[in-house]
Amino acid sequence: MINKRLEFTYHYTLTPEWQQQIVENLGATLIDNKLLIIPEEIASGGSVFLEVLPGLSVHLLDMTFHVPVAITRAAKDHNYYMIYYDIGDEITTHILGDTVHQAGYHSKLGMGFMDSSVTGVIIPPVNERSYSLRLLVDKNYYKLLAATNRTAELSDLLFDESKNTLFFYSHIDSRSKVLLNKLKEDHHFSSSSFELKLKHIALYLLNYIVDRTADFEPIINKLSQQDIDNILKTSKYLLDNLLTEFPGIPVMADIAGMSGTKYKTLFKKILKDSPSNFFSNEKLLLAQKLLQSGDFNHINDIAYELGYNNPGYFSRMYKKMFGFSPVDVLIKSIY
Amino acid sequence: MREVIHQYGVELEWVTDIAPKLGGYVDGNNIVVPGEARPGTRFILPINDNMTAFVVDVTYNEDVIYRLRNIRDDFVGVYYNLTEGDAVHILDDVSRLAGRWGCNLAVFDANLGGDYLVKMGCTTFMLAIFIKKSALKNYFSKTEQYDQILDSVFDSEKNTIVKFDRMGSQAWWLMNELRKTNATGALYETMVIGTVYGLLCDYLDQTANQEIILEKVVQEDVVNIIASQAYLVEHIEEQFAGITKLATDANMSETKYKRLFKKIIGITPNAFFLTNKLSFAKEKLETGNYTVGEIAVKFNFTDASHLIEQFKRAFGITPKEYLTLL
Repeated sequence: MINKRLEFTYHYTLTPEWQQQIVENLGATLIDNKLLIIPEEIASGGSVFLEVLPGLSVHLLDMTFHVPVAITRAAKDHNYYMIYYDIGDEITTHILGDTVHQAGYHSKLGMGFMDSSVTGVIIPPVNERSYSLRLLVDKNYYKLLAATNRTAELSDLLFDESKNTLFFYSHIDSRSKVLLNKLKEDHHFSSSSFELKLKHIALYLLNYIVDRTADFEPIINKLSQQDIDNILKTSKYLLDNLLTEFPGIPVMADIAGMSGTKYKTLFKKILKDSPSNFFSNEKLLLAQKLLQSGDFNHINDIAYELGYNNPGYFSRMYKKMFGFSPVDVLIKSIY
Repeated sequence: MREVIHQYGVELEWVTDIAPKLGGYVDGNNIVVPGEARPGTRFILPINDNMTAFVVDVTYNEDVIYRLRNIRDDFVGVYYNLTEGDAVHILDDVSRLAGRWGCNLAVFDANLGGDYLVKMGCTTFMLAIFIKKSALKNYFSKTEQYDQILDSVFDSEKNTIVKFDRMGSQAWWLMNELRKTNATGALYETMVIGTVYGLLCDYLDQTANQEIILEKVVQEDVVNIIASQAYLVEHIEEQFAGITKLATDANMSETKYKRLFKKIIGITPNAFFLTNKLSFAKEKLETGNYTVGEIAVKFNFTDASHLIEQFKRAFGITPKEYLTLL
């Protein structure tokens, strides 16, 4: 049986009103203005939306979709940033604009920071649990928080929307990952302390993200939806081709339809690294998985698998990134 | 010695009251005490109409005795207190060291007072949460265990909310995250609020697994129970004193004594005594100067095998195995 993809569009608000769209469009049940239960024929599970503080809300989603869906988050309210954490068992496929951010365990960038004026599309996997959390932060409030560890001058520049767009994709940092995994394991929407727990986690995540972004090199650039789509198209390309050699900037810029200079700048702004560093780091993260997979007996096999011509070079790069040698983590095949 | 007779509360009038008594003044959300050994923090943050947080991170340069005498009785104070150095509960005229067995988590009904001495040189890191009883009641109302008795728990004629406890690992972690944050300004406020919510969540989770003992308690009872607890620790090498003696010393009937001890300390006097005996024994063992047999004699266990059996039950491994892990 082939199900037609169910498509629907919604937009967030910092306050709970947005949930009415889910009630009207999907026939969801809204309890206490914070708990959304989706009809069972579409998905099992639901979501919780809480206002944590004036200027900060959190939306936690724990659902298993039974039919294919494409959910578009429209850019309607422009007054907030959305920080997105994907902690699903399986990878959720993101589309921003028309870029399908295709799945694969090696290609998972679990978090995104985006301006509410950028449209996003999510295609969750069918019959797999989707577990994700979003912080919605009022722009002025976020600026106030972030200003505590930057100069006023830089802060004004970063948050000037006529000159700069705040937007990036990344892996979830380890401190946040620990919190989110615990939330996923321990707590159920129904437990009495759950709301306190969720608020606690939202506030800690907010602290961690402000702390983390303070170390980012500021790249001041205004991004169009098209820029974002094009850059994410190339990061997806890299993530889908981790077993090859780095294709080179000209090829990448060509895929993005930009000049090499612009491409490098925007890539670094969004992915927080140069294309070639991004690519080699992702390769090494994949190496980490392969080393522990039990499918390989020799470091050399993994190095060649990942497209390194020189296994010694691979080992050195690996050690540089993780602080220990590949042999220290290799789990040999039992055959 | 500086004597500070003070009050706390969700509403903030206590702040301007206590500041001069500490030798300081109010500056925004902070009480500033000039001349302290390091620039300390006394940070007050109203979180909402029902909750206020108070963070204290200071090194004392004089002895201070706090005498808590609340005027309002509509709140409960939850105190997470990491103090290093000599801090003392004053019980009538007798001082008892709030040493290792002492609580670092205290839950105190506003209508209970208490005296607490902090010695010069002490370093304190404390987070106090003042929460309206009505709000706390609301949190508990979602807990199944409280279904039938919720009103009684919050009826001051029938019950007093009081508990001396030790922080669990989650509370430790949260306190340390707060302690080591370098956030400032509005970001620091989000860290404090995030920690408060985390701690309250942990507190609710913990109490959900504890037996609820309804009993009205007055300050004198608390003093007697803490004195009794201190007595047990001071005589940790001997045999258990027996409920009859302990109850007599505490001026209570045996039934009342057992109930109150369990309510305030969380476990029975017997269990408390044994648990602490074993921790002290473990500590002696760690020094490497004693054999298991010697420790069994020192701490009045029937024999070595009795110690080994109890040790294993408490810590999951035998003393020998434990030593190899050190």
